[in-house]
Amino acid sequence: MDSWIIVTEAGPVAGMAAAARELGGTVTAAVVGPRLLAESTAACGCDSVQWFSTLDSVPAESLALQVADLVAAASPRLVLALDDPAGRVLLAVAATRLGAALVSSVPGLSVEGDDLVVTRPAVEGKVVETLVVPGALAGVFDGEDVDVVSPVPAAITEVAPSGMAPSMRIIETTVAPGEAAGLQQAERVVSIGRGVRKREDIALVEELADAAHAKMACTLPICDDMRWYDESHVVGTSTQQIAPDLYIAVGVSGQPQHMSGVRAAKVIVAINNDPEATIFKKCHFGILGDLYEIVPALTAAFKRA
Amino acid sequence: MKCVIAFKWAKNPQDARVSADGAVDWRAAKMVASDDDAAAVVVARDLAVGDELVGLTVGDGDVAWAAARGATRTVSVADVEPNADSAVLGEVLAAGVRRIGGADIVIIGDGVWDQMVSMSLAGQLGWAVLAGVVSATAEGDRLHVTRKSGTGTEVIEVGTPVVLAVAARRAEDKPPGMKDVLAARKKPLEKVAMADLGVTSVGGVTLRGTALPEAADARIFDGADPEGAVEQLMTALRSEGVL
Repeated sequence: MDSWIIVTEAGPVAGMAAAARELGGTVTAAVVGPRLLAESTAACGCDSVQWFSTLDSVPAESLALQVADLVAAASPRLVLALDDPAGRVLLAVAATRLGAALVSSVPGLSVEGDDLVVTRPAVEGKVVETLVVPGALAGVFDGEDVDVVSPVPAAITEVAPSGMAPSMRIIETTVAPGEAAGLQQAERVVSIGRGVRKREDIALVEELADAAHAKMACTLPICDDMRWYDESHVVGTSTQQIAPDLYIAVGVSGQPQHMSGVRAAKVIVAINNDPEATIFKKCHFGILGDLYEIVPALTAAFKRA
Repeated sequence: MKCVIAFKWAKNPQDARVSADGAVDWRAAKMVASDDDAAAVVVARDLAVGDELVGLTVGDGDVAWAAARGATRTVSVADVEPNADSAVLGEVLAAGVRRIGGADIVIIGDGVWDQMVSMSLAGQLGWAVLAGVVSATAEGDRLHVTRKSGTGTEVIEVGTPVVLAVAARRAEDKPPGMKDVLAARKKPLEKVAMADLGVTSVGGVTLRGTALPEAADARIFDGADPEGAVEQLMTALRSEGVL
C-alpha cells in the first residue's frame, strides 16, 4: 500500500514519513515551496520527492489542484499532511479528488488485514478512540517527529508549472511578534498563567527564568486580560507554537488552547496547587504545591546547578 | 458580496460524558457554535455589507445563532450527526451552499473541534480556500485576506468564489443582546433534510470503540516539602538530559 505526504512547511516531516512507512509501500512526498524545503524533506525518510517550486508571492494553496491531480493519478491508499493552513487545504483538495475519507487528527496508524487503523486521543484527551478505514485515507498528521538515522536523501523531481495564472498572490508578509520575545529559538521557557496572583509577583517567576537561562512566556489571558506581557510572549493555538527542551509552566491550568502551543516541547514541568488541574495530565513532571513556595526553591536549585 | 456563514456544525467535547469504562455519551450534547464560528460571523458581516448574508447550519441546537448576529435568513439541515470522516459534513455543507445559490464567499469557523470540515467543504465545492484566516476586506471584486502563516501573517489577494476558514483568537467578546436574539427567531428559516440535498454518504470511517487513555506517565512530586520536591524534580530533569 503506497502513501503520499504533502509538505508546505517545515515540521515533523520525518515523523509523518515514518507513519506513512507503516503501510509497507513507497512513500512519495509532494513538496510545495522553496528548494530548501524539498531538500530537507528528501532527507526525512521518503522514497522520492515531487517538488512544486513557488515564487515568494504565490501561496502554496494556489497549486492545490495541480498537487491533487498528481496525487490522485498515483491513487495512493494514504495521504498525510501537517496541520498548517496550506497543508490542510492541499490535503482536502487531494482527498476530494481521491474520494478518500478525511480524518482531522492522525497521530499514527497501523494496518490490520486490508484496513487502516487509526488510534487517536478524542474528547479533549479524555479517551482514546480507534477508527477503522477500509478505503483510502487522507489525514492530518499530528504525531511526534522522529530522528532519521543516516538518511540517504531521496531524489527530487521538479514538477513543471501548470502554466495557469495563480489565483492568489501574497501582497504582504508580517513576521510573528513572537520573534521579539525569542521564544521560537529558546531552549528553555518559563511561562505564567492565572495562578500568579499579582503583577508584582511576576518578578518571582522572572528570577526563576534568569536562573534557568530561560525566556519568559505566558497564557493568552495574562496578555489580553491582565496586560502583564505583550503578545510576543503568548503561547497557544491562536498565537505561537514553540518547541523548547524544557518548558516550566507556573500557575498554568493547562487549557487545550495553551497546551497545543507547547506540544512539541521535549519536557513539560507543571507547578500548580490544584490537584485537578488539567496540566497535570499533560506534563512530564509536576510539583503539586504553592508556587510562592516552590518557585523560590526551584530558583535556588537552578542557581546551584 | 453575497456571503454564506456556515455555523454550529460540531459538538463541544466538553459536553460529552465519559464513563468509567471509557464509553462516550454524546446524548446530552447538542451542536453549538464555537469560538471560531463567532470570529467567522464578524468577518462575514463586514464582507456582506450591501448584499445578503445567509446562515447555513446542520444538526440540532440553536438555528437562530447566525440570525442574531446579522444573517438575514438561515438554511438548516437537521438530520445530520457528527462523523469522524470530515468529508461527510463537508459534503452536506457544500450541498447546502449550492442550494442557497449565488454565493460569492463562504465563511466558516476553521474548526477547533474538527479542522478538516471547512477544508472539505471547499474541496467539494471546487472553490479556492484559505485557512487560518484572521480578517478580510473587499477591494473591488477581489479580497485581501489576512491569514496566519508559520512565521507570522500574510495578506493574500484572492478572487471569488472563495471559502474563508476563520480562526478565533479568543472567545466571542460581544454576544448579541436579548432584542437581537428574539428578533432572530422571526427571521426566515428553511429546514431541509440530507435527502433533499441529494447527500447519501455515510463516510469511510468506522468507530471501533473508545477506551480510557493509559494512566498519564507524569510524575507528580508533593510540594508540601518544597525543597524535597524541587530536589526530586532536578534529579528527574538531569536524567532527562535537559539540564
